[in-house]
Amino acid sequence: MATVKLTIDGIPVEVEAGTTILKAAEKAGVHIPTLCYLEGIHEVGACRVCVVDTGAKALQAACVTPVAEGMKVLTNTPAVRKARRMTVELILSNHPTECTTCVRNLNCELQTLAESLNIRSSRFAGERPEWPVDDSSHSIVRDPSKCILCRRCVSVCEKVQGVKAIGPLNRGFQTVIGPAFGDDMASSVCVNCGQCVLVCPVGALYEKDGIQKVWAALADPSKHVVVQTAPATRVALGETQGMEPGSIVTGKMVAGLRRLGFDAVMDTDFTADLTIMEEGHELIERLTKGGVLPMITSCSPGWIKFIEHFYPDLLPNLSTCKSPQQMFGALAKTFYAEKKGIDPADIFSVSIMPCTAKKFECERPEMRDSGYKDVDVVLTTRELGRMFKEAGIVLDSLPDDDYDPPMGLSTGAAVIFGATGGVMEAALRTAYEVVTGEPLADVNFKTVRGLEGVKEASVNLKGTEVRVAVAHGLSNARKVLDRVRAGDAPWHFIEIMCCPGGCIGGGGQPIPTDTEVRQKRIAGIYTADERLAIRKSHENPAIQAIYKEFLGKPLGHKSHELLHTKYTPRGRYAIHYRDKKVAD
Amino acid sequence: MALQRAHVLVCAGAGCVSSGCKAVEEALVQSVKNLGLTDEVRIVETGCMGPCDMGPVIVVYPEGVFYRKVKPEDAVVIAEEHLLKGRVVTRLLYSLPGTAEPLKTYDDITFFNRQTRIALRNCGLIDPLSIEEYIAREGYAALGKALSKMTPDEVIAEVKKSGLRGRGGAGFPTGLKWEFARKAPGSPKYVVCNADEGDPGAFMDRSVLEGDPHSVIEGMAICGYAIGASQGYVYVRAEYPLAVERLKHAIDQAREYGLLGKDIFGLGFDFDLEIRVGAGAFVCGEETALMASIEGKRGEPRPRPPFPAQAGLWGKPTNINNVETWANIPPIILKGGDWFASIGTEKSKGTKVFALAGKIRNTGLVEVPMGTTLGEIIFDLGGGIPGGKEFKAAQTGGPSGGCIPKDYLNTPVDYETLAQLGTIMGSGGLIVMDEDTCMVDLAKFFLEFVQEESCGKCAPCRIGTKRMLEILERITHGQGQEGDVELLIELGEQIKATALCGLGQTAPNPVLSTIRYFRDEYDAHIREKRCPASVCASLFLAPCQNSCPAGVDVPLYVDLARQGRFGEAHAVIRWDNPLPMVCGRVCTHPCERKCRRAQLDQPVNIRALKRFVAEYPVDGDGAAFLLPKPAPRKSEKVAVVGSGPAGLTAAYYLANLGYQVTVYEALPVVGGMLAVGIPEYRLPKKTLKREIEYLENLGVAFKTNIRVGKDVSLAELRKKYNAVFVAVGAHRGQKLGIPGEDAQGVYDAVSFLRAINLGQAEDLKGKTVLVIGGGNAAVDAARSSLRLGARKVTIVYRRSKAEMPAIEEEIEEAEREGIEIRTLLAPKRVVVSSGRASGLECLECTLGDFDTSGRRRPVPKEGSEFVLQADVVIAAIGQAVDLDGLAEGLGTTKRGTLAVLDNSGLTSLDGVFAGGDCVTGPDTVIEAIAAGKRAAAAIDKYLGGEGVLVRKPEVVRKLSGDLLEAETPRQPVPCVPVEKRTSSFTEVELGYTAGMAQAEACRCLRCDVRD
Repeated sequence: MATVKLTIDGIPVEVEAGTTILKAAEKAGVHIPTLCYLEGIHEVGACRVCVVDTGAKALQAACVTPVAEGMKVLTNTPAVRKARRMTVELILSNHPTECTTCVRNLNCELQTLAESLNIRSSRFAGERPEWPVDDSSHSIVRDPSKCILCRRCVSVCEKVQGVKAIGPLNRGFQTVIGPAFGDDMASSVCVNCGQCVLVCPVGALYEKDGIQKVWAALADPSKHVVVQTAPATRVALGETQGMEPGSIVTGKMVAGLRRLGFDAVMDTDFTADLTIMEEGHELIERLTKGGVLPMITSCSPGWIKFIEHFYPDLLPNLSTCKSPQQMFGALAKTFYAEKKGIDPADIFSVSIMPCTAKKFECERPEMRDSGYKDVDVVLTTRELGRMFKEAGIVLDSLPDDDYDPPMGLSTGAAVIFGATGGVMEAALRTAYEVVTGEPLADVNFKTVRGLEGVKEASVNLKGTEVRVAVAHGLSNARKVLDRVRAGDAPWHFIEIMCCPGGCIGGGGQPIPTDTEVRQKRIAGIYTADERLAIRKSHENPAIQAIYKEFLGKPLGHKSHELLHTKYTPRGRYAIHYRDKKVAD
Repeated sequence: MALQRAHVLVCAGAGCVSSGCKAVEEALVQSVKNLGLTDEVRIVETGCMGPCDMGPVIVVYPEGVFYRKVKPEDAVVIAEEHLLKGRVVTRLLYSLPGTAEPLKTYDDITFFNRQTRIALRNCGLIDPLSIEEYIAREGYAALGKALSKMTPDEVIAEVKKSGLRGRGGAGFPTGLKWEFARKAPGSPKYVVCNADEGDPGAFMDRSVLEGDPHSVIEGMAICGYAIGASQGYVYVRAEYPLAVERLKHAIDQAREYGLLGKDIFGLGFDFDLEIRVGAGAFVCGEETALMASIEGKRGEPRPRPPFPAQAGLWGKPTNINNVETWANIPPIILKGGDWFASIGTEKSKGTKVFALAGKIRNTGLVEVPMGTTLGEIIFDLGGGIPGGKEFKAAQTGGPSGGCIPKDYLNTPVDYETLAQLGTIMGSGGLIVMDEDTCMVDLAKFFLEFVQEESCGKCAPCRIGTKRMLEILERITHGQGQEGDVELLIELGEQIKATALCGLGQTAPNPVLSTIRYFRDEYDAHIREKRCPASVCASLFLAPCQNSCPAGVDVPLYVDLARQGRFGEAHAVIRWDNPLPMVCGRVCTHPCERKCRRAQLDQPVNIRALKRFVAEYPVDGDGAAFLLPKPAPRKSEKVAVVGSGPAGLTAAYYLANLGYQVTVYEALPVVGGMLAVGIPEYRLPKKTLKREIEYLENLGVAFKTNIRVGKDVSLAELRKKYNAVFVAVGAHRGQKLGIPGEDAQGVYDAVSFLRAINLGQAEDLKGKTVLVIGGGNAAVDAARSSLRLGARKVTIVYRRSKAEMPAIEEEIEEAEREGIEIRTLLAPKRVVVSSGRASGLECLECTLGDFDTSGRRRPVPKEGSEFVLQADVVIAAIGQAVDLDGLAEGLGTTKRGTLAVLDNSGLTSLDGVFAGGDCVTGPDTVIEAIAAGKRAAAAIDKYLGGEGVLVRKPEVVRKLSGDLLEAETPRQPVPCVPVEKRTSSFTEVELGYTAGMAQAEACRCLRCDVRD
């Protein structure tokens, strides 16, 4: 590829033709501030914070302007600084100054930017449109008054997730981001993945808070409060206390949760192993008895809502297994209650999830198979981090504790549920041994690991070639599903995770969550897998025990009752438009 | 095609459609049928002919007779008279403003014959629904030529040679753009027509699409051939349904004729067009937003590069031009690039279509060569400003452009010159503003527009323009602060430098441009909380009061007069004007110029009303309570130098505040110019005396025949008085500066009028008098000469009559009295015989380019000398200040007036203030009164007071009766019959009766009542 030579603030640099000034500056070691820019996802030059002087009539946005041969870029002239300051001053003039009470206080890109540009006042007191806060969704709260219209959320929703639940409405000063026609989030096609929350530079998008309900339950002596922790939380929670992404804090998290006052601290990983048992047998059954193929995993609630909206015709392809969270919830108020002799009515079930969609999932009407609401409150990793902070719990200073029985023991196969390809790999570890009856030589199925959008592999199970695919991020899911829909899918089994990178990149994870962070968390996940003695779900003695004591056998009657579910086809349009269409 | 003996073209442009051309056409068709002329006369519905304000318009060929404002009943007459009997219907012809002579044909009318029509070549001439008519006018010949005889590269070379630049506004060279698209890798390629015309006041593209859609189709097809595209899109706004309809029709016809579609002309070239209707967002005129909209996305711009030529529609190479550009292409291909390049200026070739709108007589469309001056467009083609108003500025480029003030009327309109003036060519909208436009309000209007139309994508445009608008709103509501203008400039510059697209980058232009040229208006709003143009309604009670330099509460006293409460009305005037009897006679009444009633019929005769109530005793109906109570006598003394209106006013208010005031007057009489400048027949001495009595009653002392600077020094006055107000006026007549003016019988008007007023005038019995000049002094001198017995009096003026600065009524009365006014004459020398004037040699003048006052400069014609006989020559060409020893210690200006430090009249000498004509140069009585008031307030403050001249009571503003909304002309003021006037100096105007005054007062629309 041809290269281009230019100077940035006098520093010569040579880059590939077509490179943006921003990237070239990075190479030259010059920092240019940005605000709306999101590499690879949102490069539109909208906020104008990254303007530089290229000698053109107007200043140019470094994030979108390609370099040119001999270009002399100046990033730190009085005119450039003045322009940036003015732009940020203008943005601040249309932003509520509620920093101290904002959910993003001390973790806000606008705050950081204003500080770094040395802005000490805004001269433009004027109208600020007051939009109502949209808290209709169980997962995500939208506060458009705080929105700075960078539109990263729109791009992530459209390009990464292929959902297009939100977009700009109105124009000019009245522009606001939201579902079409001013609908609320709950009636939109939003799948609650929370990827928008991760990229929001300010506090305009955040998770629905569950903390107060949990504090109340913990303070209620009549409640037996149990908590489960999802695989991906243990490699990310540390970030809320300044640790490196990917730091494994499982034991300290368990200790911290105990200190918060939970009566039992157990692990979603247990039900992840259980999922493998159920789903694995379901796959074998479909393969052998001629069920609907390819079968697609069903652990990821954002993905579930996505298929309900956009590919309802493929719902029969979904595994009927509930997600590990909901399996856990159903068992907590049946199996666990029975075993502990506690009235399930007194059990308050909390889960710690990397995910905002889980908040929606636990509210689904079908998630009450225990006779109660199976999971009462879902907290995201970020919320747990806040609870720890509020309670003065410093992870670093805690001992490593173990989970409580009977749903505390798990395997490496369960941990890897947290990363894309993990469910597939775990399933293959079990399916191989169950079908072939032979031990696996190498449990590591590396072809399904990593951040590539769609990964494929095939496994020879006793002469039967089982072809699998793994997709993460819903726009990748679309690629796979379109082929399934077209009858052009060679696969038997497909893993789909809603969020890029899988659950470690979930919408409830600490901010920032970017590609680099995702990679570190994934590394943490596989390290955790390797550290565990048992790495196959079917070898988990606690799983063997629960089948023996309570469930009977995979896909048995009790399993069907508690661990499997049905799905709801939803249209692409908001409920009232659908109704109207029907009425018309 | 059957031959008809007459073609009647009926304009069916949007303007004429709204003024009712359809009914006219129907009436015409019916009449022609009734008269049995259907086979002989063809009636053609055409696109816009241009002169929209004259609509409905029709042209009858073969003669080319142009009829305007045709009603259906007129159509019947045209059919019977013109089409049947061959007699032109004179009353429907067009006459030049100010002339009675009707112009018969299309080609006689400047509006048309000054145009060069290339883009509009067929508009208004052919039936836009007929492809045959287009073809008959060489339509599609260019496409044929390009396809059969030229290679694509040759086509591009021809367009490059023509020098054609994008008519959408930015002016990018069209040929170069095509070349980029041709060379860009990628396939397919697209051709796009930008018909998203959205500027307020612009309708060029619309008219081309409606009047000559095939020219656009042909241009696009030629481009398709040149760049290698076979599909084009026309993006036109949904607000132009007629354009869409006619274009659609034209595309269908072109397809039928094989001029669009597969294998055009059988030459193997495929090209087809699709119309995409936009929802009317202004930003979709920006090319990247437009393409996004065609693709079905939100119409928002994206950063460039990549430019459309590289990655346009659906990421493919795309060439986009606007309607007018396309319409220029076929003639360029047919007649050659050189032909096109021979028109226009060095860097801006060809012609440009302008949509004239705003305060201009001939609103409509014109096409002129690039480089035509702004003044020519506005005055020659546009017919100038209606309603006798003054031109103030023109806005080009719509909300992205800027204004051009009257100082630049000689500017050749082309891309470069406009850019230098801080505006842009834009797509050709040209909005004319007159004196009634507030430039701050105008800037606000355009900013409101871009605020509305901002897409909201980038922060500087979305928030910045909003904040600018908020500042402007503050300013226009009287809440402006010092520093606001600087903030607007800073914001504007930053938005220009940082906004994402052209809309944002140009959005601040109207603000920056009005600040550049009309900063004083911003300052008036911010500092004085005053809107000089009387537009920003929160800053004043009523336009009349706002435009009165003295701020007289006109609506209040007019309403009191309406109720017959004349004494109270008189008192209300005296709050702000101590000389109402004088002003009731001689005021130039700027109030009437702004009277809103004029928009309905005629302005209220405020001056005549004032005269009536001022004659009425102020305590006549117990209204004395309304008059300011004289304050207890203070020990401070004030000297006023000069007893003209400024001096009298200051003396009145200062005496009323309790100061001991002495007025020094150099002349033997009190009153300054009121006494010795204005003739008795306009302002009787006894009336002036009554006004002065008011002052004497307040204890003001008058010392006449004392010239300060000669008989007593300013230094002595400063010792004796605590403060001095200098208001000595401008009493020295200006010299002509031509040979012979020192001869006997040559006067300056000031001296001449003074002599009359002091009873020292020369007897003019039987003599011929020439007065040189066009102002009030000239008319006064002329009418006085008549009264002194002159046999013949002529006024000689170098410009045209419309430009005479004298009060219009005075000019009318002068002519009524038999005075001849000869215009466009420049005096060359006074002809002298034996030491006495015997005539004036003059040169004829033509009107040349524009001077900085916005008027055309008179240019004497070489060799046109001729002599006007005269016994007396009076030069009334201006007055100068005669300081004569007074100025010592006081600075003077270059113009010879007294220098002051601020508008209160503060001078560099402690305790000395100055005002009136000696500061401003010759000005009106009411301005002198205003200066006297400002000085009195400043002197009061200087002496420890609050500077409040009159404490006015709270007034509740409500209607005292129904508003008279029916058209009602103003009450005429009774005058002495002309034949009885000239024998003496008796007052001409007799004034209203009480009944007349009340009737006239009923015409007031009470702009001061707001709810």
